[in-house]
Amino acid sequence: MKRRLFIASSLASLGLVGCGPVKESLTNGPFRNVLLSTEHLNNAVIGTHGLAREYKDSDVDRNFRVNGLDTPSDATYTSLAGGGFRDYRLVVDGLVEHPQKLSLAELRAAGEKTQITRHDCVEGWSAIGKWRGVPLATVVAMAQPKPNARYVVFRCFDVDQSGQHYYESLDLHQAAHPQTILALDLNDKPLDNDHGAPVRLKIPTQLGYKSAKWVSRIELVADFKAIDGGTGGYWEDQGYEWYAGI
Amino acid sequence: MTSEAHAGAFSGGMTKVSGERVYRHGIAARTAHWVWTLAMLVLVMSGLQIFNAAPYLDASDKSNPARRVLAFDAVRAPNGQPVGTTSVFGHTIQTTHLFGYTDDGMGGESPRAFPAWLTLPGPQSLADGRRWHLFFAWALFISWFAYLVSAAVRGTLRELVMRPEDFRKLWPMQLYYLRLRKEPPPHGTYNPLQKLTYNVVIFVFFPLLILTGLTLSPAVDAALPWLTALFGGRQFARTWHFTLMVLTIGYFGTHLILVLTTGFWNNMRSMITGWFTLGEHDGVGP
Repeated sequence: MKRRLFIASSLASLGLVGCGPVKESLTNGPFRNVLLSTEHLNNAVIGTHGLAREYKDSDVDRNFRVNGLDTPSDATYTSLAGGGFRDYRLVVDGLVEHPQKLSLAELRAAGEKTQITRHDCVEGWSAIGKWRGVPLATVVAMAQPKPNARYVVFRCFDVDQSGQHYYESLDLHQAAHPQTILALDLNDKPLDNDHGAPVRLKIPTQLGYKSAKWVSRIELVADFKAIDGGTGGYWEDQGYEWYAGI
Repeated sequence: MTSEAHAGAFSGGMTKVSGERVYRHGIAARTAHWVWTLAMLVLVMSGLQIFNAAPYLDASDKSNPARRVLAFDAVRAPNGQPVGTTSVFGHTIQTTHLFGYTDDGMGGESPRAFPAWLTLPGPQSLADGRRWHLFFAWALFISWFAYLVSAAVRGTLRELVMRPEDFRKLWPMQLYYLRLRKEPPPHGTYNPLQKLTYNVVIFVFFPLLILTGLTLSPAVDAALPWLTALFGGRQFARTWHFTLMVLTIGYFGTHLILVLTTGFWNNMRSMITGWFTLGEHDGVGP
């Protein structure tokens, strides 16, 4: 009898996973912390190793899919764009010895590289683009991080409907990866406004939401807990993993 | 009893001891069985939640509509009514309420490939679907690996792994299932078709599900580019991952029917307590 009861209850508990309120309470209840812990395991086991595959010119998507938040429409961005971004300065500050304010010409002069890589969106789709820009490592080195700097935070022009600015962050190891670049060109043309002009991050070893568009400022910090939702990025604050390698 | 059953296993392997109770499944096998059951249930449901974010599959590396294998969509009929559609290799059928335009878990229907009652969580949440999926992917991998190590160390893997003589017994066994043969070929703990099925699930489906899943990750692609290439690229790997899920559900349905029709309580007891009452044709051993 006991046995039948056990069988019936285990079958019932399996069946309950299919039931709305149970799914809700399991997802947002105490079990949530167990679910969230997987991210540390993934980061420890998979991490960032090796180089993303680089493709041929013929593999490129000429009409690279536009995604993310809406193209910024505020006065600052519109006026910068109207002037062909001649007045744009990429600010690099925070825990650095030499804060920078770099024009697009200065950025290009720092040493450009081209890479044709695949963009993998967290939603599941992929597109291939030809990106030209400056390795992030070069720009970070120009500013010389202080010993207590651990993360590189990207502040962006784009805003969501509730007024929240897009931001992202990488640790110094991810920032130093040779394929982590600040892209200025897509498919042999300067980035257009919809694709993140004038400067966007491109990190092919992680999911697309890490590749922040419309970057206005790079800030080196010891910790990102004090920034917005405290999880290190716009989508991270909405439940996505900070480690976006998987 | 336990020692007798094991003695039988080692001496001949095909001893018929109808009506006898034998200790058939050790604690590792039973634990693994139920962990896999729960993990597969959660992985399928959270996987469908993740799939809903890009409800199409391509046989290519990057997304390519020209190589689309499967797609779900929601369109408007001329009368203004929303219609859910399913396209397989370009052939489209209407699947409103079931696929394409379905229950959104918020009290209504929306453009959604799979309905909320099939996904985890129910309402649209890619972030939470991923959390569930990645946690239970680890649960499946760890329990799969632990089971294989335990079964190998304890020697019970011998009862499960296909042997050359098992292949010759597949057709006679199939004839027996089709009632075209009176007796099944003599066999051990598992009949040859059972062995083949379990071998395919444990040694082919599980590893391939884990590997194709891993190649959907950009960091894994960078670390193991040959693995992604082996599956035909990222989107192709996603197509394989989905296909293997469908095949595994096919196995699950067959498994359920056979559990129900070949002595349900005896089967359930053996997978919960370990003790199984041998039938007329059941043997013990490899």
